[in-house]
Amino acid sequence: MTSTTAPEPDGTVFADATRAAGTGEAIIVLEGVHKFFDDFEALHDINLHVGRQEVMVVIGPSGSGKSTLIRCINRLEEHDRGRIVVDGTELTHDIRNIQEVRRETGMVFQSFNLFPHLSVLDNITLAPRNVRKLPKAKAEAEAMELLEHVRIPEQAKKYPGQLSGGQQQRVAIARALAMRPKVMLFDEPTSALDPEMINEVLDTMKDLASEGMTMIVVTHEMGFAREVADRVVFMAEGQIVEVGTPEHFFTDPREDRTKLFLSQIL
Amino acid sequence: MNAVRIWLRRNLFRTPVDGVVTVVFGAISVFVVWRLVRFVLVTGRWDIVRVNLRLLMIGRFPAAHVPRLAVAIVVIAAWAGLIAGIIRARQVRAGRAGVYVGLSVARVRDLVDRFWLAGVVVVLLLALTSTPGPWITTGLALLAAVLGRLAGPLIGRLQLLAVGGAMLFIALGAVPIALFVYVVDGAGVTEWGGFLLNMFLALCSMVLCFPIGVLFALGRRSKLPLIRLVSTLYIELVRGAPLFVLLLLANSALQFFVPVDLAPSKPTRAIIVFTFFTGAYMAEIVRGGLQSVPRGQVEAAKALGLSPVRQTALVVLPQALRNVIPAQIGQLISLFKDTTLAGAAMSLFELLNVAGTLTSQPEFRGQLLSPETLAFAALLFWTVSYTMSRESQRVERKLGVGTR
Repeated sequence: MTSTTAPEPDGTVFADATRAAGTGEAIIVLEGVHKFFDDFEALHDINLHVGRQEVMVVIGPSGSGKSTLIRCINRLEEHDRGRIVVDGTELTHDIRNIQEVRRETGMVFQSFNLFPHLSVLDNITLAPRNVRKLPKAKAEAEAMELLEHVRIPEQAKKYPGQLSGGQQQRVAIARALAMRPKVMLFDEPTSALDPEMINEVLDTMKDLASEGMTMIVVTHEMGFAREVADRVVFMAEGQIVEVGTPEHFFTDPREDRTKLFLSQIL
Repeated sequence: MNAVRIWLRRNLFRTPVDGVVTVVFGAISVFVVWRLVRFVLVTGRWDIVRVNLRLLMIGRFPAAHVPRLAVAIVVIAAWAGLIAGIIRARQVRAGRAGVYVGLSVARVRDLVDRFWLAGVVVVLLLALTSTPGPWITTGLALLAAVLGRLAGPLIGRLQLLAVGGAMLFIALGAVPIALFVYVVDGAGVTEWGGFLLNMFLALCSMVLCFPIGVLFALGRRSKLPLIRLVSTLYIELVRGAPLFVLLLLANSALQFFVPVDLAPSKPTRAIIVFTFFTGAYMAEIVRGGLQSVPRGQVEAAKALGLSPVRQTALVVLPQALRNVIPAQIGQLISLFKDTTLAGAAMSLFELLNVAGTLTSQPEFRGQLLSPETLAFAALLFWTVSYTMSRESQRVERKLGVGTR
């Protein structure tokens, strides 16, 4: 799990996708990953190492495979070729490995996907009680701590339908954190939100990053990428086009495809 | 007065066509209502119902064991009240319902709104009786229901551990079974009849068809081809056959497959047929519910590391079942009314069958009294169906179907 290539000569030390940032030790390794939907190749030869405590932001036009990439990491999609290793566990057809990986990765969805039939508190305690086998009282105490953390403890008894989009997404973050994951995956967490609610979710994510959580974030929020990311990955047509530090990325992109994309959104 | 005129003009006589429609349909409605009222109060000869009330309600249930039935009714009333109280207290604890303080006007109005029809019919039945037994039973049952309702919250408020909760569940489930054994000890099911038999057949089938429906709905979506095939075959075969034919088969063809002395009794056969028939329809309803749950829900459950069984049991099924409450209750109401087919197909002595035989009694023969007996049967079925339907709407509102 050590990096295989030499440092870049131009000093952008993280510009190689197979060199982990963060503490330098890779927690997620993707090697030669391909993914097909019927004839369509959604991912083509993805090689990526994500370091412990690294924040990696994935950007790119729609349909470029960003979401598919992170959905392969917790096996919501099954990759067709290559290896994916999460904290030493390789994703194979063995259901125990898959469960193991899912326990260690939290995921936040674009459309929140809170359970509408459960209260906020029950949404958060469901997995800890059933997977981590915590007793109810302990799970609820932990859930309240997490709600404090995302700054909505007063909503614990309400149902998801009674909350605003920003509040729902923060509950979703708390729900994922309740499993004490080592990695958090964010799939366009602010894309379904009204503009005035985006910042409350981004602030929560920034808190998380500053506490040293390993995060992979698919987003269109370039401000967030610039401020928080250790590395930015640019994808197009199922391939990783360019990887670099935010400074490198927003001031001196190398590839024409990247320049075009950035000129379109900035 | 002026306001009335404006209202009439706005709602009934806005255009000439409106006026004609109003007059024509108004006349028809008045005529129908007048004939109905005249039938109920003047021309109807309700003696046939009064004399045979017992036969209509419980058939040839042996008189010596009727007290057991009364005991069962009173205990069931207490049991239902207790469960209502427990559920209420749990909802209050979960923050889903406000706390009632005593007996307010709103609460009385709510109860009247829910049970007025059932209440009216019970009073009507009591007015037709000639013995004090039913009065005493009804009074005690009401008292028992109220006491149960008051005691329920005391149990519901307890913070039970998993073991305690399971024991309470089993204890509550054992009550109707124990009562059944107690009544059957006096008079076997084959001696039951009248509306009692309809209620019994329907309740047993309702309770049993639900798990069957859920199992086969899940089976039809299974990844294992064999399970999927068996489920699909069962559902499509049963839905493809008329219920009446299935009942006839159960009545007459069973002896070809099972030795006569091993064959279950006729009421049991009827329950089996009703259960599997309604189970097939339930399976399709539940399958529709399963499909109505968005994919993101399963993905969220997977991402949290829940096992496949827990994904289904804790996330998908609760939402699926909640989304199809109206269709489920509709199917159960249909089942309840279909119990009358067991009379025609298996000559079980249920309400409709009783109503049909009364008109050939010596003292009522040849007097064209079928309208009276059939109207009485219809009233009982309508009362129960209507109350079920209203209660299901209430459950829907409580669970917030459609509001998410």
